[in-house]
Amino acid sequence: MRNILRLSLTLAIVGIVSAALLTGVYNWTEPIIAEREAAEYLQAVQEFFPTVADTRQETIENNLFDLIYDSSNNLLGVMAVIQQQGYDGIITYNLAMDSSGKIIGLRIISHSDTPGIGDVITTPGFQSQFIGKTYEDPIEKGVDVDSVSGATVSTSAMINSVRQMAGVIAFTFLSFEEEIFDITAVPDGTYEGIGRGLMDEIAVAVTVEGGQITAIKVLRQNETPNYYVESYPLIPERIIAEQSLEIDIKTGATGSAEGIVNAVRDALQKAIEGGGEESE
Amino acid sequence: MSNIYLQDISRGIVKDNPVFRLVLGMCPTLAITTLMVNGLGMGLAAAAVLICSNVVISSLRRFIPDQVRIPCFIVVIASFVTVIEMLLKAFQPGLYDALGVFVPLIVVNCIILGRAEAFASKKPVLRSLADGVGIGLGFTVSLLILSTIREVIGSGTLLGETAMTVNLFGPAFEPMKLFALPPGGFIVLGLLLGLVNLIFKRYNIK
Repeated sequence: MRNILRLSLTLAIVGIVSAALLTGVYNWTEPIIAEREAAEYLQAVQEFFPTVADTRQETIENNLFDLIYDSSNNLLGVMAVIQQQGYDGIITYNLAMDSSGKIIGLRIISHSDTPGIGDVITTPGFQSQFIGKTYEDPIEKGVDVDSVSGATVSTSAMINSVRQMAGVIAFTFLSFEEEIFDITAVPDGTYEGIGRGLMDEIAVAVTVEGGQITAIKVLRQNETPNYYVESYPLIPERIIAEQSLEIDIKTGATGSAEGIVNAVRDALQKAIEGGGEESE
Repeated sequence: MSNIYLQDISRGIVKDNPVFRLVLGMCPTLAITTLMVNGLGMGLAAAAVLICSNVVISSLRRFIPDQVRIPCFIVVIASFVTVIEMLLKAFQPGLYDALGVFVPLIVVNCIILGRAEAFASKKPVLRSLADGVGIGLGFTVSLLILSTIREVIGSGTLLGETAMTVNLFGPAFEPMKLFALPPGGFIVLGLLLGLVNLIFKRYNIK
């Protein structure tokens, strides 16, 4: 009995003394750390928005969005801190967009992708291709930005994330209207379209009858078979069920799912512009 | 009298070198020795924790009952690690970011618990201090050697990512990135271990 008391008492005393020590050091360093982080943050904002006077922070999922205001309370733009799954762990980066919807800055804060390979995402050569793009640009691999071979996963992840987040910033904070596709304006017929999947182009044939999508057939694809089955036929089913392209594309194969949606959009767009090559 | 303390210190650097002789603490050794500044920072951080924990554990050795010694050691070590972590974050943020998760992981660095168990819990305070300094220096020197070799071959620089970076081979040089990656760590460590064994054998150091 006495022995147990002695043992617990020793542990308790060691614990209490440690706690006291830690409290002391914490109280001493905490304000220094907070001050330094605030200064770093301000510097980061000023790099993109030199006339910043005030900021307001919003959170969507895991991403932080700082709305940047100047001294007369005009919205200058948004600086986001975005977390994106890379090749090996989370890539955290800043994306800055000015009030006209143009990307003005991209900076990797931290990543754990392979040194010498995936860390190409930190190079100005890779990052500069995003600068000046707007939320209306495709920001699509092989279209207006390039991935880097050898580091396809890291660079594709960044490209997809920037595209998605540019949309989120523009539509959520900069009050741009998202263009919603009007399917009822499409004349009856079957149209072909092409979208970029994860691996290669995906070609689809979309059948429209009476302003409704009635069938989506994939004509050509080169996706990884195991992943592809996650998005097909699920994604065409969703599009047909909701009669919309603004569907939830989170599947086990988001890259392929996006490819299918983009291919359908491409087909319908061509149909409306009248240049649609009607098949059959 | 002072002789024995000097002996403790030199033993920690050479004969009981934690990396090359005891082969302890391999996880941080392999992971962070990509740049000299990281190797030096990690070595000094671990040395600081080791010296503090050795002194405290040695001075408490008569009060801590045998049955609860390991939890007590861990609490002491963890406290010092947390202190070091907060100090680094406040005053050396660059180094703190570079060392990342390996700072909190000093808690489970087997060198530190190993010295607490094998030395500090049995020997007087001053000798434990000397042992902490010796082993800490030995660890720092080893990390510095490893990281220098890996940085020169793997990045082509000296003191990279500091204000004093020296670019050794000019811009046209394509560094052998393998050495900045984990396999390079194993290769350099293995060769150095062999070399150290060879030297010890040749000069019959026991």
